[in-house]
Amino acid sequence: MSYNNEMIEKYRGNFLKEVTDNVEEGDWVKMCMQCGVCSGSCPLGPHWEHPPQEIFMMIRANKREEVLESTSMWMCTSCYNCIARCPRGLPITHIMHGLATYSRRLGLAPQQQPTAKFAQLFWNNLAKTGRVNELKLGLSLYFMNGFAEGVKTALKMKNIGLNMLKTKRMTPMEMLGGHGCKDAKGLQAILKKAEELENVRIGKSGA
Amino acid sequence: MADIKIGAYVCKGCGLGERLDCDELATIAKRDGKAQVAQQHDFLCSADGVKMIQNDIDNEGVNRVVIAACSRRAKTEAFNFEGVTISRANLREGVIWIRPDEDDLRETTQEMAADYVRMGCAEAKYSTPPASAQEKGANDTILVVGGGITGMTAALEAAKAGYPVHVVEKSDSLGGSVGKMWKDVPRHSPYTDPVDTGVAAMVAAIEADGKITVHLNATITKTSGAPGRFSADISTESGGTSTENFGAIIQASGATPYDAGKLPELGYGKSKDVVDRVELEQLAIAANGGPIKRPSDGKEVKKVTFVQCAGQRSSKEGHLNYCSGDCCLSSIKQAMYFKDQNPAIETEILFDDLRTPGAPGEDFYRSGQDKMITFRKGKVSEVVAGSNGPLVKFKDLILDEELEEEADLVVLATGMVANSGVDIDEVPQNEPGQWEVNVDSILNLNYRQGKDLPHLKYGFNDSHFICFPYETRRTGIYTCGPVRRPMDTQQAIEDATGATLKAIQSLESAKVGRAAHPRSGDLSYPIFRKEGCTQCKRCTVECPFGAIDEDEKRFPVFNESRCRRCGTCMGACPVRVISFENYSVDSVGQQIKNCDMPDEFDEKPRILVLACENDAYPALDMAAQQGTSYSQWARVIPVRCLGSINTIWITDALNSGYDGIVLMGCQKGENYQCHFVKGSEMAQMRMSKVDETLKTLNLEEERISTYEVAITDIDRAPQLINDMAEAVEKIGLSPFKF
Amino acid sequence: MSEVIATNQTILVVGGGISGMTAALEAAECGKQVILVEKNPSIGGRVSQLYKYFPKLCHPKCGLEINLRRIKTNRNLHVMAMTEVNKIEGEAGNYSVTLHTRPRYVNENCTACGACGEAVETEFDDEYNYGLGKRKGAYRPFNQSYPERYVLDPAIIGTADADKAKAACNYEAIDLDMGDSETTITVGAIIWATGWKPYDAGKIQPYGYDRYKNVITSVEFERMLDPHGPTGGKILRPSDGKEAKDVAFIQCAGSRDLNHLKHCSRICCMASLKQTTYLREQYGDDTKGTVYYIDIRAIDRIDDFYQNVKNDANITFTKSKVASITEDRETGNPVLHGVDTEGYDRYSNPHELVVLAIGMEPSVPADGFPMPVVLNEEGFVELDEANGAFFAAGCSADALDVNRAVQSATASALRAIQVVNRVAGAEG
Repeated sequence: MSYNNEMIEKYRGNFLKEVTDNVEEGDWVKMCMQCGVCSGSCPLGPHWEHPPQEIFMMIRANKREEVLESTSMWMCTSCYNCIARCPRGLPITHIMHGLATYSRRLGLAPQQQPTAKFAQLFWNNLAKTGRVNELKLGLSLYFMNGFAEGVKTALKMKNIGLNMLKTKRMTPMEMLGGHGCKDAKGLQAILKKAEELENVRIGKSGA
Repeated sequence: MADIKIGAYVCKGCGLGERLDCDELATIAKRDGKAQVAQQHDFLCSADGVKMIQNDIDNEGVNRVVIAACSRRAKTEAFNFEGVTISRANLREGVIWIRPDEDDLRETTQEMAADYVRMGCAEAKYSTPPASAQEKGANDTILVVGGGITGMTAALEAAKAGYPVHVVEKSDSLGGSVGKMWKDVPRHSPYTDPVDTGVAAMVAAIEADGKITVHLNATITKTSGAPGRFSADISTESGGTSTENFGAIIQASGATPYDAGKLPELGYGKSKDVVDRVELEQLAIAANGGPIKRPSDGKEVKKVTFVQCAGQRSSKEGHLNYCSGDCCLSSIKQAMYFKDQNPAIETEILFDDLRTPGAPGEDFYRSGQDKMITFRKGKVSEVVAGSNGPLVKFKDLILDEELEEEADLVVLATGMVANSGVDIDEVPQNEPGQWEVNVDSILNLNYRQGKDLPHLKYGFNDSHFICFPYETRRTGIYTCGPVRRPMDTQQAIEDATGATLKAIQSLESAKVGRAAHPRSGDLSYPIFRKEGCTQCKRCTVECPFGAIDEDEKRFPVFNESRCRRCGTCMGACPVRVISFENYSVDSVGQQIKNCDMPDEFDEKPRILVLACENDAYPALDMAAQQGTSYSQWARVIPVRCLGSINTIWITDALNSGYDGIVLMGCQKGENYQCHFVKGSEMAQMRMSKVDETLKTLNLEEERISTYEVAITDIDRAPQLINDMAEAVEKIGLSPFKF
Repeated sequence: MSEVIATNQTILVVGGGISGMTAALEAAECGKQVILVEKNPSIGGRVSQLYKYFPKLCHPKCGLEINLRRIKTNRNLHVMAMTEVNKIEGEAGNYSVTLHTRPRYVNENCTACGACGEAVETEFDDEYNYGLGKRKGAYRPFNQSYPERYVLDPAIIGTADADKAKAACNYEAIDLDMGDSETTITVGAIIWATGWKPYDAGKIQPYGYDRYKNVITSVEFERMLDPHGPTGGKILRPSDGKEAKDVAFIQCAGSRDLNHLKHCSRICCMASLKQTTYLREQYGDDTKGTVYYIDIRAIDRIDDFYQNVKNDANITFTKSKVASITEDRETGNPVLHGVDTEGYDRYSNPHELVVLAIGMEPSVPADGFPMPVVLNEEGFVELDEANGAFFAAGCSADALDVNRAVQSATASALRAIQVVNRVAGAEG
């Protein structure tokens, strides 16, 4: 049985409980009183399909798929406006990231959502050497949506790239391997161990 | 009563000495006002001035004091002499502060002052120091009607203050509706979990208290008397009746749960698994801390839905048009019954506005959320039978979606209906000398105006006043708990404690013949000259407090301790046989007559202003404080209430040559502001009859105006007087000047 | 001031707002000896600053007048203004209380004739009008203030104004040498009725109370409606003095909020509903009111007031806690940003004036209670045996409306009487 099905089976229509148990800071969701201050405070608000307060209501209304497959929580830019203003003290930013992580873990995260994609690219880039490779990360972002699109974006960003080269914020040598932390192997071992521990914690077998 | 000896004291302070000829005023007091003593003082309210007056009282036998100085609202404490009458000629706020300081106006200003001195002396002459009511019931025992948590609290609190109590309870046990609960909402911090109702402990305390007598299975079949001397027939189911005497009564008759049978659209009566909140308490008691089972098949409830505002806050026929105030807290508590027993049970509360006020309320709401009760802003349209349990159809207002959800059990958060007895506007009282018990009545009062307390709104016996929640229209009888207003247990306990104080206060006041609020401390009472009475019944009908009964010959029977001294009866009486020692047809009538009436050729009109002493009169005072002026033709007399205005004052005034009359009372109607209920309404009604008099005298209708004036009408009140002055100028002087 | 005589059968009431006045009067009218102390120069409290009461829309000053008359004529009741409680020692039935009285610089000779007020020149922010207007350095706090006496602002002492005031008085009522005084009295029971204060609106950062002139609090709005208040009874925008006909009311401004006051202040919903009627009273049909709310708590039988306002086509309700306010520089209009949670509609609504339905913060002495007291998390005094004969009345006990505060005060009067009756019984 897939992890997703496992969870469906386990929580049978009690999505709030599922969120409470599995989502980082998810046990705060129950405390929302639907005032909407988070939704109104979000700078990206107009671009969300479901703002946080609505997501919290959807969770209580057992709209499991709609929430977990939503692109909404991926829109969060961690500005912390909502946390600062929430009258009930909900760590909304963290809950949004928690929901995003959980949906990805379940394999329900939207594949084409740019923030989700960027997050994956960023992670892949970083995890390799322990340092962000600006050149490779930039290029992989440009080409995220196909070759033609990538060329177009690269040309558009040309001047910024050249300036970065000039001021030594980026070097073309990065293309060849690039800089890394002292012990990249050790880092990867650490990450592997962390993943193992995390899987044990969430009761998930295999990756 | 010793001979009348008037002492008039003219103050020269605050500019009075400069603006007025005080020597002349003192002379007028002696000559026109018949004051035996007339003194002037530079600073009358000083210790020295007060001493001077006290000395005359002590050594010169002065027993009618006329203070010609500032308004009666100022320096009240300084001019507070015992055993004498005190009249205030308002020369400061009433004359010099409302008239410009100009040489050519000195004459009319002086005339105004002189008239107020004459009026003060006239009032003094026709007043008697109140000797306190003759009727002084001295009973200390308090009757508490209703043995629920409200009544039990009242009983225990009264006993704790040292007063004996009788509790009369209709059912066979104490405890009332809270006694039928599994648990109650917490009344002390932390406000997080349902708590023991405390009923058992209270019952035990009552049983152990030697000051408290309990009558179970008992109702009140007759109540008569007045504060300090109430008498109540307590009848038991078995047929026995005992008569007990009381000093005051607390009505804690509580509320009845709204009949959920009126809500078939919410599935009640159609599905056994749709229950009201009282039935849910029974299910919880039956479960005794274990799993709550649903009525239809005894299945353990795994999902429960609460429908808030069931049959409430709705103008639909048969629904309650109000919020019962405690259902939100109650549903949260009941949802906790499930969650505390088994957190896996799904509990959902469908609400419109969640009403959990204050610190305790909001804490309890958060605690409910913490226990994972689901709160949804939703409007329930229907509850029908589903395949496994009731199906709730509702619109989720946040998600903007029509939804259906099945539950094992649906709880309707139904409201409360006051047990306030019969509506006295609809159920007539028995004729004097006849008596019939009304089984629907709570108190079975033998009062002329009906068997129960007047209802305010929606059947509740609440006070009409924001500042005075214990104001009652039946002196000495105080309601508390949900019969007064929808409320939760904590408020009911607070309310019962407050009502107990008022009951104690009322019986203590009755002992010394003092009036109850708002004229608290007033020792005067209505004196009735039976010989002149025509048994017209106006006083008995119009008394706002139902204080006057009728004997078998239809003569009024005044119950002094029930009287609130507003004077409405005095205003009502067509033959003027009712008066108070210090406020009478004469004490005002003579003020009107004793103004100096210039003859026609002087072209000096006179305008009589009768102003409510609590609102219009202070408004005029405050106008004076800020330097607003009004017509020098006005002569203002404060009255206890516009309801106390006897039309004889008006006809006398017209006959003696007044050119205009202005009456200033409080707002009437649904949101009336009259502290004696309908004073200005009655004044208006009576004045419409005066129109007839005007016609017979061939006078213009414009000469009399009645206004609703609020205490804040500081600019408007003077303007109304000026309007009359203008009107008089237009229509000309009255032809009735002699 | 006349000598204060108090015994262990005396009841001390702290705070002269409607709760304190009620508690003091109710006890005194039962025949008990009562001392009422008030921190300010006048009793009357916050209700004296209100234009109207809900739901009757009657004037608080009417009830105040009745209470003042009761006070003036009751010989059992002694009022001490400008007085605070410094220390309470002892136990139920026998407390020793140290009172601290600030100088009024005006003695009981004062006739409230107003000569000193006319003589002085310096002006100060008027506390009675929440600083919206000015008052003189010798002043009567408001037209019904009691004790009916003027007071000198301590800031004019030692200045020419003080001498002018003294010279203007014909009654030797001005005593510039008056100093602070301490009195220790014995009482049997204490009723604590220090009431509430409006939550500091400046702390609600996103609403810009401290930055935008046209964002005001509900208590300030009340002052505007007073025909003798700072705007002569007109609803005017502070920024430009223009009539404000499109007014927004923001509920839970500081209440139900862990960042500010945790509790629901109870009164604010009804207060805003009441204030929407002011708009109609002033402008008839030519007005627009918008109430932004989380839950409308028009609790119990006064729910019909809410129903009536809801039926007013000019008043709309939006279920939303406003997220933030910006200002349209050109018009001076505050612009409210947020989301209507019923169906998720974003708005950026300009209004001419914004009224923050400000929360009730329990008003307690700056350096804490003068004796150990059991409080709840919100800072309200609990009814608890450990408090002995120290009883809270009104908004010291919870966020209460006037009606409930008076109810609470009446109850507290009985609790105090129970104690002094017990003392009287024990002493025969």
